[in-house]
Amino acid sequence: MTPRTFGLGALAAAALAVAVAFPVFAGGYYVRLATGIFMFGALASAWNLIGGYTGYPDFGGAAFLGIGAYTTGILMLRAHLPFAAALLAGGALAVLAAVGMGTLLLRLRGHYFAIATLGFMLVLRQVAANLPITGGGSGMNLPIASAFTPFYYWMLGTVVLGALGGAIFPRSRAGYAIAAIRENQDAAQVLGIEPLPYKILAYASNALLFGAVGGIYAYWFTFIDPPTVFNIDFSIQAVVMTLLGGPGTALGPVAGAIILKILDTILTNISLFLHNVFFGALVCLLIIFAPRGLAEVLRRRGGIVRAIRAELEDSRV
Amino acid sequence: MIFNTDVALQNAVNGLLIGGTYATVSLGFSLVWGILNIVNLAHGAFVMLGAYETYWLFTLYHVDPLASLPLTAAALFALGYPIQRYVINLVIRASFLVTFLLTFGLELLINSGRSLLLGPVVLPLVRVATFAVAVAVAILLHLLLTRTRLGSAIRATASDQEAARLMGIPIAHVYALTFGIAAATAAIAGGLISLSFPIYPAMDAGYTFIGFVVCALGGLGSVPGALLGGVILGLLQTYTAAWLGPNYDNLVAFAVLILILLLRPAGLLGRVQRFRG
Repeated sequence: MTPRTFGLGALAAAALAVAVAFPVFAGGYYVRLATGIFMFGALASAWNLIGGYTGYPDFGGAAFLGIGAYTTGILMLRAHLPFAAALLAGGALAVLAAVGMGTLLLRLRGHYFAIATLGFMLVLRQVAANLPITGGGSGMNLPIASAFTPFYYWMLGTVVLGALGGAIFPRSRAGYAIAAIRENQDAAQVLGIEPLPYKILAYASNALLFGAVGGIYAYWFTFIDPPTVFNIDFSIQAVVMTLLGGPGTALGPVAGAIILKILDTILTNISLFLHNVFFGALVCLLIIFAPRGLAEVLRRRGGIVRAIRAELEDSRV
Repeated sequence: MIFNTDVALQNAVNGLLIGGTYATVSLGFSLVWGILNIVNLAHGAFVMLGAYETYWLFTLYHVDPLASLPLTAAALFALGYPIQRYVINLVIRASFLVTFLLTFGLELLINSGRSLLLGPVVLPLVRVATFAVAVAVAILLHLLLTRTRLGSAIRATASDQEAARLMGIPIAHVYALTFGIAAATAAIAGGLISLSFPIYPAMDAGYTFIGFVVCALGGLGSVPGALLGGVILGLLQTYTAAWLGPNYDNLVAFAVLILILLLRPAGLLGRVQRFRG
């Protein structure tokens, strides 16, 4: 363990201690805001596993979020299971779906993979809108929880799980295999790495976190319908936060989530309309000026302006 | 038996006519993807803008929807050209994730910038005329690409950007023209859609997906491929709607996409090699 990783680890542990104590001294509004930040931190960490480390840009993460949300909702409402059991089932079903779909979709590359995952999400949205058990297009009301602070800890748990996954993953055997597959799949195969199982592992881990977040989200908001949970915004925000903070790093996605969510909250308070315009403009600017993440621009020698100019020279026509 | 034949025939006609609209949606998508190697997530937003413009020209000034198509197309060309020239061209050589996300950001901007918030609107059905326009647009685009200097420049740029530049082709301008033409055909598609289908602000994502599926089905950057892909998808959706119910069209499109990508990744009339250089 180098001093740098030790320092980062100590910093993360201190941040975690503050986060655990946070609801004791902070008001309800801030606890709610932090719960939202953790939620997106977990989604970004999840996307980072498949999109960042593996290089397979999944745009259909909301499919798993929806599976988690609806499984939790249906089991609580119709089978009267306790929340924890329903959430576990939701996560498990999301993993199962990821293994099944991953077997098909992870054979595709580039644009094809990205759009196919997006299509998978659109299909599930349509199915959920037409099945009787989901309440169809009019959605589903979950039981109302007696207290809201537990959701803070549930979301904290998932974001910690996501960050731990991001820290452990690249140092594991599977992580090395994934890195080889990302850099050159054909070469990895020559070295005896069978790509599909490793890619499915990354995809299913991503699905587990999305599914867990979906289940918590459903009980937290107490109302779900197909367009709210099968919503491409969840996937895209996760991508943008990861790119902002630095893809392929353990804490980058969480940092991106914190920055973007706070900015977003300030702008939403100013104007709900402005918030969408802001998000679109931010995506465009980020992509044009810092496609490899803000951290990469800051890290380059010779100042930010020169780094941005070099980035533009590389990719313009 | 006679009754069943009638139903089957009626389905064939309906599927064919819807397929024409799908083909128009996909023409521009295919052009941008095949030539610029960009999957344009804002394509559905262009379709949506075209649909609304047609609707407003009809509602406010009583312009016949079919007559307003050239106007709508010109307006979207004027929007598409600068977007490509001054925004997308900045990152066109970066990885696909970059251009992909940039067009998504544009999609968000267009959709939230559009202040025309109104509910579903249904105009009278004139699907036969719609189909005729769709085929005419496809033929015109095909002629443009194969018989004109501009078309040669576009195809030359697609097959080898550096060689095209050495021949004196202004790449940035050609890219922007291509994108503008694609936006214009999207506007026509939107205008046609507004004649037969409900239009609403959130329609864009579904039509972007349709565009993608039709391209994958027919083959990338190919005008006949877009026509064939559109018609096949329209027919499949109409026939499956007869026994699955009308609410699973995305499911059918998705199944088609997965099957074609696994069985014949280049598409039915695919000439991926020609357009990738």
